[in-house]
Amino acid sequence: MEAASAASPGGPAVGLGPRRALVVVPAYNEADAIGWVVRDLKRHAPWADVLVVNDGSADDTSQAARAAGAKTIDLPVNLGIGGAVQTGYRYAWEHGYDVAFQFDGDGQHRAKRLADLAAPLLTAEADLVVGSRFLRPRGMTATGMRLVGIKVLAAAVSKVLGHRITDPTSGFRAAGRRAIELFAQEYPQDYPEPESLVLVHRQGLRVKEVPAAMRRRRGGVSSIGLWIGLHYMTKVLLAVLMDAFKAPVRLDEEVAP
Amino acid sequence: MIWTQRIVLILMGLALLGLTLELIRKRRLREEYAVLWVCTGLMLLGFAVMDRALVGLAGWLHLENATLLALLCFVFLAAIVLHYSVVISRHSEREKSLAQELALLKDELEKVRAATREAPTPPAEAKPRPPALRT
Repeated sequence: MEAASAASPGGPAVGLGPRRALVVVPAYNEADAIGWVVRDLKRHAPWADVLVVNDGSADDTSQAARAAGAKTIDLPVNLGIGGAVQTGYRYAWEHGYDVAFQFDGDGQHRAKRLADLAAPLLTAEADLVVGSRFLRPRGMTATGMRLVGIKVLAAAVSKVLGHRITDPTSGFRAAGRRAIELFAQEYPQDYPEPESLVLVHRQGLRVKEVPAAMRRRRGGVSSIGLWIGLHYMTKVLLAVLMDAFKAPVRLDEEVAP
Repeated sequence: MIWTQRIVLILMGLALLGLTLELIRKRRLREEYAVLWVCTGLMLLGFAVMDRALVGLAGWLHLENATLLALLCFVFLAAIVLHYSVVISRHSEREKSLAQELALLKDELEKVRAATREAPTPPAEAKPRPPALRT
């Protein structure tokens, strides 16, 4: 429990020092889990602001998030995970945050690990850090077809990026200022986790993985349940390969005259 | 080409052009989306008038006249459908962006409302915003 005592509620703002951090929690029909997730974040990462992006949920996700004390953005329509996460990045960009975390609303990510995740950003080693379930020493194994799917996808993404990526579908991430700017402007819609890695790479930014154990989810229905299935796999691979051919996004436009 | 074929082609071309132009006139179709339809109508008319071109092209491709016409219609329809896909993609991108902007503005509005409730005369805080995004 050493991490818990170091970051006790109301204690000093340890973590990222003077940098401002936002935790973006996309949530779609996660009323059961979201309150717990927000309180977990507030307890273990009190130095970060928490923003729940309610992606047009039909249940009480928004109320539960607000009751737990999170800033909450309600999308008027369901945009899907990509659109919801991008809303968070736009918020982070417009409000001048230095670091934006991505954190699932179903409780599978560990709030205690947020500071570890941001470490490569602080040392300027990377622009986007991904928490990987498959890197030692905190490795974990997925099972069956899902593992095969992730392995194949990981091989494809690694090939495009030119260095090893073990967990391209991980939604546990930390983005620095440059990645925030990029994602605020352009974020993949269909299979955002693996596709965004290719986007970041194509933009000349650096991706780094760090080990991150994850919990079993607390509620809701996993969108990764669909990972099972060759059909899905093919579509993701195609999307990733298409991304490798897309022209880079121009970011340095519209500077005030 | 036999004259009945020419008449049918001319009628089809005129009907397509007339319908397209009428829809534009009534503002039910934007010019942007009508270009390809007008091109299709003009092609039909063109081949009816200059039937030598059609016969020549068909001979060169070893096709029947009617087969060539069907092929050309298919090409134009494919172009129209592809154009629609582009338009739909653009619209879904805009819709996403608008939804996000709306949600972010609603959040800002709530903040402003809360601030005005707490302090009746809030200090005008001019916070420099980062440059606008090109979306």
